[in-house]
Amino acid sequence: MEFDFNSLFAFIIFGITIGVVYGMVALGISLIYSGLDIVHFAHGEIYMFGAFFGLVMAKDMSIPYPAALIGAMVLAGLMGMLIERVFYRRLTRSGGGYTVAGMGMIICGFGMSVALMNVAFLIWGADAKPFSINLGMPLQLGNISIPQSYIITAVISFLLMGMLHFFLKYTKLGLAVRAVAQNKDIAYLMGINVPVFISLIFGLACALAAAAGVLIGPMQSVQVEMGYLMLMKAFAAAVVGGFGSLPGALLGGILVGIFENLGAAYISPSHKDIYAFLLLILVLMIRPSGLFGIEAKVKA
Amino acid sequence: MKRIMPSQHKRAKPFQRSKQMKKGNKLISVLVLAGMMLSAVSAMAGEIRIGITMRMVSENGQKYGQMMMDEIDLINKGGGINGNQIVATLMNDECKSDKGVANANKMIFQKKVHLVVGSSCSSVTLPIVDVTAKAEVPQIVPHSTNSKITQKGSAWVFRVPVSGRFYGGVNAKYTGENIGTRIAYICAADAASQGDCEKMQGQMKSQFGASPVYVAQVQEKEVDFRTHMQKIKTANVDGVMIAALAETMARALVQSYEAGIGPEVRRIGSSSASNSPVPAIAGDAAKGVFFTAAYSHSDKRPIARLFNEMVRKRYGIHAPDHDFSQAYDLIRIVEIALENADLELTSSSLKQDRIAIRDAIAGVRNYQGLASGPISFCSDPAPVCRDGNRTAVLIAYTKGGEKYELEVLARVTMPMDFGL
Repeated sequence: MEFDFNSLFAFIIFGITIGVVYGMVALGISLIYSGLDIVHFAHGEIYMFGAFFGLVMAKDMSIPYPAALIGAMVLAGLMGMLIERVFYRRLTRSGGGYTVAGMGMIICGFGMSVALMNVAFLIWGADAKPFSINLGMPLQLGNISIPQSYIITAVISFLLMGMLHFFLKYTKLGLAVRAVAQNKDIAYLMGINVPVFISLIFGLACALAAAAGVLIGPMQSVQVEMGYLMLMKAFAAAVVGGFGSLPGALLGGILVGIFENLGAAYISPSHKDIYAFLLLILVLMIRPSGLFGIEAKVKA
Repeated sequence: MKRIMPSQHKRAKPFQRSKQMKKGNKLISVLVLAGMMLSAVSAMAGEIRIGITMRMVSENGQKYGQMMMDEIDLINKGGGINGNQIVATLMNDECKSDKGVANANKMIFQKKVHLVVGSSCSSVTLPIVDVTAKAEVPQIVPHSTNSKITQKGSAWVFRVPVSGRFYGGVNAKYTGENIGTRIAYICAADAASQGDCEKMQGQMKSQFGASPVYVAQVQEKEVDFRTHMQKIKTANVDGVMIAALAETMARALVQSYEAGIGPEVRRIGSSSASNSPVPAIAGDAAKGVFFTAAYSHSDKRPIARLFNEMVRKRYGIHAPDHDFSQAYDLIRIVEIALENADLELTSSSLKQDRIAIRDAIAGVRNYQGLASGPISFCSDPAPVCRDGNRTAVLIAYTKGGEKYELEVLARVTMPMDFGL
């Protein structure tokens, strides 16, 4: 097949639109890792629940799509806070990272992933559900047609990440979140209610995952098993960007998205999912802490 | 002489008593066990055991299995087969070959079934064919279309659905004559889709000398087809064949329109396009998709109308697809075969009963049911004898969504040895 720049441009745009979604899920994973010192393996299922929340609101309750997006974020955020309070807190209280509790947390995350998937299966069944929303005609850029849903996905993702950046960087609450992430003991001595802020971090991360689910729904439909592959890609994005780095998660997501689309287009479309992990290996070989990671950071 | 202290004596007595009790208990246990075994054997004698393994992870998948169980229940309520009741075991293989093989082994060696029914997915049916061939148990296939299933040469396997080799021929003929020969292919990794893709490409080559313009192998549950669609769009094709399981196909159809491939480029579906999730998920993108199947709910025959009505009432399905009709036909064929089989149904006659059932299925000729054409089997363990139905219906969606509509474009009966 002949090489043409229009197609190259299209592949990059497709890569960015899916990449920002990876980035949002990766951002949540990084946020939890920074705040709680744990890797949350059930984050893919939170993303799946978010997509279903959005679907139910938009389709069954006829709530407009933007409101369904916000509603799903709120519900998933609350759900995340509940999960953290009921299941994870005892473990995270005993430490994260390489401690025994940290290992327990990883196993608990796997268990939570299976449990959430089964709960979703009982509620919504195994069939894929269409999440069709009418956003109008695709945008024509020369020979490339870009559906409105892709543009909306990219715009909303950047907006949400910008808001998160603003919240963390320029508000008092954000400062407290960063303090908790940096050192819980000192944050506690400074008068910050650390458990509440840990819940807040978890809720925020889950809300971001839900937003990613609602945004991807119209592109790929919604089903119980959708979380697994997204989690893998988001992990790849988080590691490429540097685990624990928020701008790194976004950049990692975009790089993973572009890399896998270009790989699928110009190397072999049959092995699309491999490229994300090839990039991951490449980055780890050159810069083991990821693009934005801190070399000497030790989590324990 | 050693004196036994009272305390020691007291301790010894219960020990002796418990020893006697243990002996008695053992005897009773042995008798109870023997009784249970005898009653189990006598219960097993006089019953026809059928093991069914299917993909029951989706709502429709569960209903196909439920329909089979309901039909067997109705046979039993009507007096069974020559006075013998059918005991059916329904298992879920989730369309995973390892689970399917485990189910088949369990049914054959633990449940001691006389007949294996399954599976829905070709990738599961293919390894089960080896299991049933080795264990010498008859197997009848309800939904799987991959042509290799009957090409393995097993004397124990029979297929109710239309083989992929017939579907490929009909699809290719219609495409080449009415659409064009510049065709792009998206082929999912499951065995049925791989088979459909391969047969279609082979037929396009042999009938029209046309090579594929673009071929992409994708994962069974691929979600992102945008790269492929962009490449297909620039390749200026006449048609796109999407061979995948229902949900994957629906996603690909939607994304083909999102990529800007207009309706003038016809979408050709593999046989799973018949499954209701395709129009339900794809919505308007399903309109115009054509495919070959073994049944259309728009069939005007009285038997088809009654069947549609029954499925609607019993399972709440607006338009039953060909997997419903094939499940129903399979039970009718099994019923006919079992009635004709000379069965002893004792604990020692399992092997000869299995042979009798196999031979009785091989003796089914011109079964006229819901299927697109008559279903016939014979004893030679070759595809010409074991691919029962060779009439494919060419169908197109005229409306997508939950309340989808279809039209029958053609009904074609292929020669028995076509595509071999």
